[in-house]
Amino acid sequence: MIELTVEALHLHYGSNPVLKGVSMELARGEVVTLLGPSGSGKTTLLRAIAGLELPRQGKIVMSDRVLFDGASGTEMPAEQRDLGIVFQSYALWPHKTVAENIAYPLKLRRVSASEQQSRVQAILDQLGMSKLGARYPNELSGGQQQRVAIGRALVYNPPVLLLDEPLSNLDAKLREEARAFLRELIIRLGLSAIMVTHDQGEAMAISDRILLLNDGRIEQQGTPQAMYGSPQTLFCAEFMGSNNRLPGTVASVEAGRAVLQGNGWTLRGEAKGVLQPGQAAIAVVRVERVRINEAAGDNALSLPRSASMYLGDRWEHLFREANGGADSLALRVYNASEQVPNPCHLELPEDAVWIFPA
Amino acid sequence: MASTTLSRRTWHPSWPRALVTTLTLLAIYVPLAFIVWQSFLSAPFFLPDKNVGLDAYRFIFADPDFYRALKSGFALAFGLVVIAVPLGGVLAFLVARTDLPGRRWIQPMILVPVFVSPMVLGFGYVVAAGPVGFFSTWAQALFGFIPWNIYSLPAIIVIAGLTHVPYAYLYISSALHSLGSDVEEAARSVGATPLQVMTAVSLPMVRPALSYASVLLFFLGLEVFGLMLVLGDPEGHLVLSTYLYKLTNKLGIPSYHLMAAVSMVLIAFTIPLVMLQRRLLRTAARYATVKGKVTRPRVLPLGKWRWVAGAVVALWLVVAIAVPLAGVVLRAFVSGWGVGVSLTDVLSIQAFRSILEQPTLLRAIINSVLIGVIGGALAVACYTAIALAMHRKPDQVTRVLDYSVLVPRAVPGLLAGLAFLWVFLFIPMWLDRSLEEGWLAVLPFASWLREHAIEPLRGLRSTIFSVWLAYSVVWMAYGLRLISATLLQVAPELEEAARSVGARRAQVTRNITVPLAKFGLIGSWLLMFLIFEREYSTGVYLLTPGTETIGSMLVSLWATGAIDIVAALSFINIVLVVIGMGIALRFGVKLHD
Repeated sequence: MIELTVEALHLHYGSNPVLKGVSMELARGEVVTLLGPSGSGKTTLLRAIAGLELPRQGKIVMSDRVLFDGASGTEMPAEQRDLGIVFQSYALWPHKTVAENIAYPLKLRRVSASEQQSRVQAILDQLGMSKLGARYPNELSGGQQQRVAIGRALVYNPPVLLLDEPLSNLDAKLREEARAFLRELIIRLGLSAIMVTHDQGEAMAISDRILLLNDGRIEQQGTPQAMYGSPQTLFCAEFMGSNNRLPGTVASVEAGRAVLQGNGWTLRGEAKGVLQPGQAAIAVVRVERVRINEAAGDNALSLPRSASMYLGDRWEHLFREANGGADSLALRVYNASEQVPNPCHLELPEDAVWIFPA
Repeated sequence: MASTTLSRRTWHPSWPRALVTTLTLLAIYVPLAFIVWQSFLSAPFFLPDKNVGLDAYRFIFADPDFYRALKSGFALAFGLVVIAVPLGGVLAFLVARTDLPGRRWIQPMILVPVFVSPMVLGFGYVVAAGPVGFFSTWAQALFGFIPWNIYSLPAIIVIAGLTHVPYAYLYISSALHSLGSDVEEAARSVGATPLQVMTAVSLPMVRPALSYASVLLFFLGLEVFGLMLVLGDPEGHLVLSTYLYKLTNKLGIPSYHLMAAVSMVLIAFTIPLVMLQRRLLRTAARYATVKGKVTRPRVLPLGKWRWVAGAVVALWLVVAIAVPLAGVVLRAFVSGWGVGVSLTDVLSIQAFRSILEQPTLLRAIINSVLIGVIGGALAVACYTAIALAMHRKPDQVTRVLDYSVLVPRAVPGLLAGLAFLWVFLFIPMWLDRSLEEGWLAVLPFASWLREHAIEPLRGLRSTIFSVWLAYSVVWMAYGLRLISATLLQVAPELEEAARSVGARRAQVTRNITVPLAKFGLIGSWLLMFLIFEREYSTGVYLLTPGTETIGSMLVSLWATGAIDIVAALSFINIVLVVIGMGIALRFGVKLHD
C-alpha cells in the first residue's frame, strides 16, 4: 500500500534549479532515507513534501489526498497536510514547556484537555521522559530535546513522519544511541517515515530503502544492502562506504569483466556500465575488501607501507608507491594487527573491483 | 621588578580619552545641573532677589492645570502603548512573515512617521482633518456632517497611537527577523494556521521586544510635544511638556523656576523609564540566543485573509501617513482654504515666494540644511570619539559614560534646549562677574579677558553652534547606539591581530577600527541628518536671530497663526527628509536597528 507518491518534482530557488524531476514512493510502514551530499536537494525535497517550499511542477499525493499538483496549480497549505516533522534544529518553542510543546498539536485539533494530558503523558512514557513534562526546552540535553521534537511530531498520529537530519545535532556518542532508539521506535510503532541525512552509515542503519540524490536527481535507489553491495554508478559507489580509488585505462572487456591498466599495474574486475578498450576508467574497491597476503597472488599489487593508524577495533594501513607524489598509486587497507608482512602483497578480489567509466 | 613592568603596561593613561570623557560629562551634566539648581530657586537665576527653596514646586503642585496635564499625559502614554504595540506587532508579523500584498514598498513607508517631525504631522492633521480641513470639508459636502473631531483627547490619543506604530514595528520586526523560521514551520506542520502561528509562537517568542516596545512607547508618550501643541490647543488639552511651554508667559516674566520644577517632575518619570529600557534591551539580547535556526523562510500564505490584512494595513497607512502629508502638501500650494472654496481656484506658490522674501525664514532653511549636513557629520565625529573611548575597554570610565549618555535621553528636547539656553546665558555672565570682582579677578590679564573672551562667548548663543550642541547632546544616546554597533561589527580578532604585531591602541583605532567601520559611520551620518532635520523642540528656547531652524520656526510661527508659511516650511521639511531617506535607501543604509 503506497502512502506517499512524488512525481517528477521540479523546484527552483530563484532561477537556480534545486530539484530536477524527482520521483519517489513511500509504502506504508516503510522507512525511506534521502541521502546525498550537501546541495543535492534532499532537504528541499523533504520541505516540499511538508509544504514549506513551493515546487514549480510535479505532483505530490498522499493516500488519496493531493498535496501538490503543478498542473492544476493546487497546493495544500502546510498546516492541513497532517504530516509529522522533526526539524534538524528541533525547533522546540522555548516559551512552552515540554508538555505544552507536545500538547500544542492536540490543542489545535480541539482535543479535550484531559485527553491531551493523557496522550502527552503516553508519548512521554514512550520516549522515556515521563518526569520531564514540566521542564522548558533549554533545561534539557540535546538528546532529550530531540525526543521531545519526535514526540511532538508523533502525538497526533500523522500517517507519515518526516525527519530532517535528526541526528546531526547530537555528539558522536549520543548519535549512536539515538540511532538505535529511533530505529526501535519506528519498528515498534510501525511508522512510515522519510529521513534526510548526509551520513551513509546512519542511512543504512535506519532505513528500509535509500534514495541517493545527486544534484537534484535520484542517482540510485534500493535497499541498504543493494546500495552498498552493488552500486550502479561511480557516484553511488564512492558515496557509500570507504573506498580505494584507482584511475586507469581499460585494456579489454569481456562478458561483464574488464581489465584496467595503470602505470605499472593491471587489475581485473566487474565492468559497471558501458566500457570500451582504451577508455579512461576508475576502479573502486571497498577498503575492507582488500586482503594482505605474504605471497604474491592473483589480482594483487605490491606496495610498501607508508603510514599506519590505530582505530581501536583494528588498524588502518596506508600503502603507497615508493617515491610517489600525492597522486601516486595508494591503497588503504584494514588489518587486525599492526604487523604487516614485508614485502606486502595486497590482493583485490575480482568481484570486489568495480570498474566504472570515468 | 616584574610587578612594576606589569603595572606600567596595564596603567595606560590616555589623554585623548580623558579629554573626551571630561567634555562629554560636562556637556551632559552642566545643563542638567542648571535645571536642578533653577528648580530650587524662587525666581529666575539672573534676578537679584531670589532665594533657595521649594516655592516653585509649591506653585505648580497647587496649579489645577498641572494635574490636568499630568492626567492627560498619562492617558496619552497608556493610549500609545495600547494602540501602537499590538498594531506594531501585527504589522511586523505581516510584513516580515506573510504574503501581505505590497509588503516590499510598505517597509520604507512605515519609516515616514519616524523621520517626519511630529509638528509637521500634527499640522498636517489640522489642515487635512481639522474642522475646516480638506478632508473635513469634503466629508461635509458628502455626508452633510463631519464624522470626526481631531481635537478631542481620545482622538488625539488615537492619532498619536497610530503615528507611533512604527516605533513598535521597528523593534518587533527586528526581533522577528532574528527569530528562526523553523519554530514557525514546526507550528505550521502540526496544523497551526498563520494566525495561530502568530499568536502561539511568533509574538510570544519576541516577548522581550514587545515589552521593550511597550516601555519605549510609554516613554515616548510622556515626551509628546508637537502633536499635543498643535492638536490639543483648540480644546485646551495639555500634557506636561505643553504645560511647561505655556508656563513661559504665565506670570508675565520668564518663569524659569516653574519650568525647571515641571522639568524635574517630568525627568523623575523618564529617568527610570530610560534605565528600564536599557535593562530590557539587555534581556532581549540574551533571549535572542534562545532561538531556532535562521533560514530564509518561505512566506506564510494568508489565503483568504490576505486582502483583509492588506486593507487594514492600507487603512493605517492612509490615516497615519497619507492624510497628514497630503494635508501639508495641499495646504502649501493653496493661498487660502475654507468652506466652499474650490481647490483649483486657490492654487498658488505665494507662500514659497514670501519665504524667499523673508531673511529669517530663508536663514531657517539654510540653517536646517547646515545643521543636518555639517552638524550631522560633526555629531558623528563626536559620537565616534565617545564610542572609541568606550570601545572594548571594560572599566570604570566606560561604565560611567555608558550610563551618563543615557541621561540626556530622559530630558525631553524642549527642556534640553532650555537648559542649554541657561548655560549660554549664565556661563559668560558668571565668568564676567568673576573676572571683574570674583576670584578670577586676580588673573593679571583679567580685564583683557573680559573684553576679548567674554563677548565671543556671549555671541555663541546667537550662533547655530548653540543649537547644534543642544541637538548633539539630546541625541547622544541614539547616535552612540548606532556608532558603537558599527564599531562592534569589526571583529575583535582584527584588532587583536594589529596589537599583536605591535600597534598601540591609538594606532589600532586609526588604522583598523575606524577604516573598517567607515561605511557604518557614513550611514550614521545620514541618520543623524534625518534626525536633525526632524528635530523641532530642542531649538524652541534657543530661537533668536541667527539660530532659526525650520523646526523651531514652525513652533513659533504656529503660535502666530501664519498657516501659509507653516505649510510651506513643513513642505520644505518633508522634501529634505524624503531626499535624505531616498539617499539612505539608495545606498542600503539600515534606517533602524
